[in-house]
Amino acid sequence: MLLREVGYARPGSLGEAIELLAADDGARALAGGQTLINVMKARAGSPDALIDLAGIEELKGIELRADGTLEIGAMATYTELVESSEARARPIIGEVCAQIADVQVRNRGTIGGNLCTSDPTNHLPPLMAALGAQMTIAGAGGERTVPASEFFLGVYMTAVGVGEVLTKITVPAGRSDGFAAVTLGVEGTCIASAAASVNGGVTIALGCVDAVPVVLHPGSVDEDAVREAVRDANLDPPSDVHAPSSYRKHLAEVLAVRAVNQARS
Amino acid sequence: MSTTTAPETTEVEAPAQDWKGQSVPRKEDRRLVQGQGVFVDDVKRHGMGYIHFVRSPYAHAHITSIDVSQAEEMPGVYGTLTGEEVAALTDPFFQISSVPGANLKDYALAVGKVRYVGEAVVAVVAETRERARDASELVEIEYEPLAAITDARHAQDDGVPTIHDDAGGNLMWHGTYEWGDLDAAFAEADKIVTIDELHFHRFNSTPLECDGALVEYNRGVGQWTIHTNNQFPGFAAIMMGPAMRTGLDKLRFVTQDIGGGFGNKITSHPQLVACCLLARKLGRAVQWTEWRTDFHMSMSHGNERWFHETEVAVKSDGTLLGFRTKALDDAGAWLRYEPLGGVIWAQVTPGMYKWRNIRVDFTQVATNKAPVSPNRGYSRMQHLWFTERVIDIVAKELDIDPVEMRKRNYIKTEDMPYETPNGCVYDSGDYARMLDIGLELIDYANIDQRRLEATARGKLLGVGIGSTLDSGTNNFGQSRMINSELQFSGNNEVATVKLDIFGEIVVTLGTTPQGQGHETTAAQVVADILKCSVDDVHVRAGHDSYWNSHAGFSGTYASQFAVTGLSAVKGATDLLAAEIKKLAGAVFGGVPEEALELADGGVRIKDNPDAFLPFMACGAIINANNAGLPEDLGVTLNCRYVYRPPFEVPDIERKFGNLTLTYATQIHVAVIEIDPETGAYDIVDYAAVDDCGKRINPQIVEGQVMGATAHALGAATHEHYAYDEDGNLLTPNFYDYHVPHALDMPPLKTAATESPSPFTPLGTKGMGEGGGAGIHAICAAVQDALRGHGDAIVSDSCNPYHRVWEMLQAPAEAGGRVSVVDA
Amino acid sequence: MSTVTTSRSIKVTINGTTYEREVEARKLLIHFIRDDLDLTGSHIGCDTGNCGACSVIVDGSLVKSCMLLAVQADGATVETVEGLAHGDELNKLQQAFKDHHALQCGYCTPGMLMSATALLRANPHPSEDEIKKGLQGNICRCTGYWNIFEAVKAASE
Repeated sequence: MLLREVGYARPGSLGEAIELLAADDGARALAGGQTLINVMKARAGSPDALIDLAGIEELKGIELRADGTLEIGAMATYTELVESSEARARPIIGEVCAQIADVQVRNRGTIGGNLCTSDPTNHLPPLMAALGAQMTIAGAGGERTVPASEFFLGVYMTAVGVGEVLTKITVPAGRSDGFAAVTLGVEGTCIASAAASVNGGVTIALGCVDAVPVVLHPGSVDEDAVREAVRDANLDPPSDVHAPSSYRKHLAEVLAVRAVNQARS
Repeated sequence: MSTTTAPETTEVEAPAQDWKGQSVPRKEDRRLVQGQGVFVDDVKRHGMGYIHFVRSPYAHAHITSIDVSQAEEMPGVYGTLTGEEVAALTDPFFQISSVPGANLKDYALAVGKVRYVGEAVVAVVAETRERARDASELVEIEYEPLAAITDARHAQDDGVPTIHDDAGGNLMWHGTYEWGDLDAAFAEADKIVTIDELHFHRFNSTPLECDGALVEYNRGVGQWTIHTNNQFPGFAAIMMGPAMRTGLDKLRFVTQDIGGGFGNKITSHPQLVACCLLARKLGRAVQWTEWRTDFHMSMSHGNERWFHETEVAVKSDGTLLGFRTKALDDAGAWLRYEPLGGVIWAQVTPGMYKWRNIRVDFTQVATNKAPVSPNRGYSRMQHLWFTERVIDIVAKELDIDPVEMRKRNYIKTEDMPYETPNGCVYDSGDYARMLDIGLELIDYANIDQRRLEATARGKLLGVGIGSTLDSGTNNFGQSRMINSELQFSGNNEVATVKLDIFGEIVVTLGTTPQGQGHETTAAQVVADILKCSVDDVHVRAGHDSYWNSHAGFSGTYASQFAVTGLSAVKGATDLLAAEIKKLAGAVFGGVPEEALELADGGVRIKDNPDAFLPFMACGAIINANNAGLPEDLGVTLNCRYVYRPPFEVPDIERKFGNLTLTYATQIHVAVIEIDPETGAYDIVDYAAVDDCGKRINPQIVEGQVMGATAHALGAATHEHYAYDEDGNLLTPNFYDYHVPHALDMPPLKTAATESPSPFTPLGTKGMGEGGGAGIHAICAAVQDALRGHGDAIVSDSCNPYHRVWEMLQAPAEAGGRVSVVDA
Repeated sequence: MSTVTTSRSIKVTINGTTYEREVEARKLLIHFIRDDLDLTGSHIGCDTGNCGACSVIVDGSLVKSCMLLAVQADGATVETVEGLAHGDELNKLQQAFKDHHALQCGYCTPGMLMSATALLRANPHPSEDEIKKGLQGNICRCTGYWNIFEAVKAASE
């Protein structure tokens, strides 16, 4: 419960935040804090400084463009995504966010924090990978855009570098999506998860089976094709106290089929 | 009426008859729903220091050096305590065990060696919580790691490291229990069912509030005041006093509200000793908050137990004749309450069945894991899970319906009181009727139809029964079966009931309630005797040694308050009622007591209700206006009563005797549906039928039933203190140790029958532990659902989804190994 | 330009009273409430943000005060269990918890009440499933939850 000493600043603009983050490579951006504060409580991580993004207007808001593209500010909370009428353009986003943790965490936790944490058990990395989202990252040198499939680099590691901030998640139009998970307790931590999108081609992203989401493109939505795609991925999932590797490997196949079936229905 | 205590609004209408038996709303709740409870972490003192324990990162290691100098130099740090100091200032804790466990040298902090991850090695005290933890990071400890033992089954193998050199090996305690004639039973049997291995896993009830203390030392009188949430101060005192080389009067225990206990808060005495030493050393109050991770790593895990080479003698019709098994209990690194678990199970030796010939070879070993101690259902739960597993495995192997199997073998109501093969006396109950009620609640008559419907949806439906006993009110004489030199027997509890100067009725208990509603049920008992409202009865919250209303076994544990606590309350109130009449008789000028009655908050002459003396007058006369009273009146209106249950010292040679006074009963029936593709399952229907004799407050009883059910369902599905082979706890917090949340709770139907205990003053039976009935029911339901789908035998008490899936995939490897031979 | 500091002065209004204090940046809101302000009704039951015993309402939003730094609450309006009753009179939800035996040890109760308060504000007549979902973030180890569900249902009627 007792954090190490830490600095804190609450910048009012994105530029200021980037400056503060660039000034100290031990500084970390603080979004909703629903993971980071816990890590610090355990003293498993101890940033020199927390740059609180809560006061930055540019990072807020959920917008629906005329072409159906969703632009989600990185500081949008899960609750906002559940309740937002704009986000309903891609209903799976609200459906999945409603399953994350609990009311309290959904009120504070943000899409940007969820993605930047890159915890393999998180819901949103595989979902965003399946939806083909684009991540906008801002730094001193300006903005760049990275597709979700390239955003996640490892456990707790993403394309966001020192002195950079994830500002926006852009989700293309589409409606035929699915998500399935086996969790620790009802709507608990994911033991294995799969997200699918069949808008045009078929994209599946598997969670909890590797350090980052495993993205697959089966040739069709047929169960056999989906199962074959998962088998061909030669998954070697981690074992832990909640599941042996073999079980996760099996679930990946089952959940991929279920996610695709939901997407088709 | 004027009062000297806080006014309490009258919220309860007087019942037509007794207050007992009514669901009177709890007196405790008014403060608790306003955040006005006083829990241990709410107690503060000027200038207090915060304690942070530096804990071992190794499961097994020699401590080669400790350097606290940097920590002590940090600004804001008040001081430290090391194992070396503890060893100089205290003696090892008294050991309950006979040899070899008796030889353990257990101190408040690790001395020379650490034996599990999370063991406290150094304590640091500072002006803030954060600073204490900062300084703890500056304590330099060098370790020389040793190999760890985490699997009890290998603790006695050749060449394994010895955890306690003083014990000469990892065996802590061994005893053989045998009753009846095993040879004859196996000769008479038609079939012998052999079960290779059954495993009851390690978990505990994780009360939401962890342990803690605020300790003050009064140097002038050499006394410690220990504000704590320890739930068995009587036990803590006898552990701490001799170790600290001090009289028990120097240890004052104080509690008010306790945030759940479930047995897990019995063995905090090592930490309390560290707090006491620091309060004395630093000359200031010290405060210890145990955090959740500390609790999971170090506090009171439930006993993990294995049952090997079980053989069951049974007739072809399912009549059970006897069994023999080898129980192997994993004590963890220290014997903090152990090896009492090695005998407590014997309170329920035959479970609910008419087995007359039983042999249990019981071995307890040490491992490099957190010490085990009581946990809701302590030791009986493990054994009852075993007997219920045996019933369902034998029923399956003999192709007998589990309901029929139970009814054929249940001890019958007409046989009550029933003496078990080991001399325990089951007081009352009608198990078969309770089972029928449970089955009806889940609509068992239509279960075949529901099974078909589930199959059509791709699900496997299973039904399971868990039938258990909640034995309560220990005869502590059973401890002599563990160690014949122990001088404990019987049991006791104390209550004091008085009329104060303005006539307030004040009740003082010796107990340490943790949510059981003692203030309310005690008031109900008092109100019936004094013929007043429960609102007129002031029951002091919590426990304080200064109240002098406690005895050696005072506390709240082991399903006994409704017997020990309320019998003490009844005894004290009966004494007070008699004194009130005696006083009134004298005041009225020699009216005999038989001519008087209590009514309407006072005492009156039956034939002349106008001759009325209110309690206020009684209190005032005795306390403040007593001139002229007869010299030999003998009335104080302050009545202390010690309830002592009727026990004999057990026969240690035969391991025979009555070990507990009452036997509450639980029969649970679970219906589950398994998703065969994932092994995940839902509990779709659930019934809990309870019988705890006379219920003083049915709503409180039902609350205990539902709470115990939730504990059992959590344990059956997810809760598990799992260790890796290096001795690291893999579930050290509520993130990985998943307890049931609101969405996890299945539909729950409850029912109650009342079979009054013939052995208790109020017909009550202790209850609340629940015997783990839900664990047994879920295991049985999983096994039932797998029938025809691999037919795995459920051999582990914890069945997370992956284990169910494994049983579907590879039933022979993942399930239990069972054989049946014709005798 | 904002600067990085390890402590700062904050102003928080709790149950109608405004408190101004200097706090270390590392101090959790729950410790600020319990230790610095002596409002000990909110509790701590875990150290991973799972149990919800520390739940409070910050600017109208239900949060776990162990996953928020006190400095993050600078300028905020906070509601805790101590603010629920009207003087000596329990509010409807508190009374329903008492009537339905929705608490045993009472340790989770303050957080549970705050979650139920937030739920009923957002959804005055929740279904049983909505009640469960609204309380998913609060662990109770005593009651098995059903009496809590009943109490919330009763308070919503």
